[in-house]
Amino acid sequence: MANLSRLAFLPGAVVLFLLPAWLGGSPALYSAAVLIAIMAIMAYGLDIVVSDLGEVSLGHTVFFAAGAYVTALLSTKAGAGAWFTLVASIVVSLGLAALVGLVTLQLREFVFSLVTYAVSVVAATIAANWMFLGGSDGLRGLPTLDLSIAGLSLSARNDQEFWPYAFVLLALTLYLVQRFRQSRLGQAALMVHLNPRLAIMSGINPLKVRLQVFLFSAPVTACAGWLYAYQRAYVSANILETYFLILMLTAVVLMGRRQLLGPLLTTALVLIQEKFFSFGSYADKIALGSLLIIVLAFFPQGLIGLFALRRKQARTMAATLENSK
Amino acid sequence: MSLLQQLINGLVLGHAYALIAIGWTLLLGVARLVNFGHGQMYMLGAFVTWWATTTAGVSYVLALPLAMVVGVIIGLLMQRIMLRATFEQNLTSIMIMTLGFGYVINGVASLVFGSTGQILDTDWSQRDIQIGGIWLTWQDAAIVVVAIALFLLLKRVLDKSRTGRLVRMVAEDPKLAQLAGINVRRVYYGIFAFEGAAVSLAAGLIAPRTPILTSMGFEEVMITFVVVVLGGIGSVTGSYVAGVCLGVFTALFSALVSPAYATAAAFVVLIAVLVLRPGGLSAGTAKGVH
Repeated sequence: MANLSRLAFLPGAVVLFLLPAWLGGSPALYSAAVLIAIMAIMAYGLDIVVSDLGEVSLGHTVFFAAGAYVTALLSTKAGAGAWFTLVASIVVSLGLAALVGLVTLQLREFVFSLVTYAVSVVAATIAANWMFLGGSDGLRGLPTLDLSIAGLSLSARNDQEFWPYAFVLLALTLYLVQRFRQSRLGQAALMVHLNPRLAIMSGINPLKVRLQVFLFSAPVTACAGWLYAYQRAYVSANILETYFLILMLTAVVLMGRRQLLGPLLTTALVLIQEKFFSFGSYADKIALGSLLIIVLAFFPQGLIGLFALRRKQARTMAATLENSK
Repeated sequence: MSLLQQLINGLVLGHAYALIAIGWTLLLGVARLVNFGHGQMYMLGAFVTWWATTTAGVSYVLALPLAMVVGVIIGLLMQRIMLRATFEQNLTSIMIMTLGFGYVINGVASLVFGSTGQILDTDWSQRDIQIGGIWLTWQDAAIVVVAIALFLLLKRVLDKSRTGRLVRMVAEDPKLAQLAGINVRRVYYGIFAFEGAAVSLAAGLIAPRTPILTSMGFEEVMITFVVVVLGGIGSVTGSYVAGVCLGVFTALFSALVSPAYATAAAFVVLIAVLVLRPGGLSAGTAKGVH
């Protein structure tokens, strides 16, 4: 099964990459594709913490904003290039994650969520008031994304040229999440989540695992912020709006926990609706919020759970029939 | 302004904070439930009051109960949808769902009331009380009186009445309470109805102090977190004291340091409490872990 899905991965990736071109290649399509990739990457950072560690961080918007603000500040005020801003985004998000992670190390469940939520609320007030971060106007005039190295020209002036970079970052993120889940840390995180006592008996330090997973997840979300800053060419306090949090949470829970493609599919679903079938921005809010509520209230295992249940029922029925023969 | 005046302002603000947080005190402290849509329910309460007094032309005294009725309906609706998760004591799920409700409420309010700021004007906020060199409005006095009355009422009901015993029993062990023949479902509905009514009443009374926007509510949620955590989860008296203390602290911080970062300062208080006495919290969360 694993081999099969690995074999399917490459053609799937090629199809995904060419999809915007096949669908007509309009600027709106490329814009949507880029945005889907960015938002999915953002959600994968949270996915690791929620699905594998089992804690709900409501502060991941801060890492997203940190990536965007670091990029905006360094590129507009210091003229830094895209490679430098990428590294800086990762470093700053790691620093923030270490800070938040250490303070909340002993906190569980809703108290952990409460504090991380508080972090994002405070970050929003700081972003809106601190003139260093552009205050409520934000930071404008970011340069175009330019990743040229050693004579190789790699830049993106519009969304169509942007798509390959967003795609590569998305593919890299998927690969990393997959590798994480197979890694010792990923297994340890799951054990800490599902059976903390067994984890401790196996010589795992739950606090260390928590912190490590948190540190791994923050740069993933921050990289999305880095790309988002270049794509939008400006960054303001709007980046800390609840929208991003609700989108991330929906992406993580809609299909079901620990589904590799779940966050990507959900992000695509939500953004395609918003970009091409919008009911107006306020009604879209109602739709997205309702989607999140309905899934949690009526399909707590995610939509995948529905299919899995059917398949399981079918299999049991087949087995019963087999036995009765 | 004199220091005494600042203290009075702080006391008024503190009662406002305690009043905003009273619904959460019951929710979390007694029933082990959370509501991250609390801030948006506050916003809605303020806008319903505003709508009633301006567009519908109802008097302010009638607008308050109207806002409370809307709050109760929202609370009951939320509890209906979250009933399964409530019975499973699945706090994670409840938390995310209430965040979703907050987001939906924000969308609905923006559709209905528009996204421009409004001023909720009341007769009470126009008239001042002046004693010596210090002054406050009738609105401020009403906040203090209502906050004290509501806290006394809640404490009395919880400690002395049959309803209070039922609520505490359900909080202690919902399954056992059900076995004992208590209508657990009704108790949960009642708790969320109280949360909706209390936050709407708080909004109707406190919102006239500042312009209202459909995007507001985050500051209120932050204040609520701090009050509930600082007061020690589960303690009604603790919440009241914590609210008042936080109000005085915020008033002094705004006057002496910076009003823009008052929320951030409240957050620092929250972190300090969590780091200094994590034990007080774990007692409250022990039941939530499963």
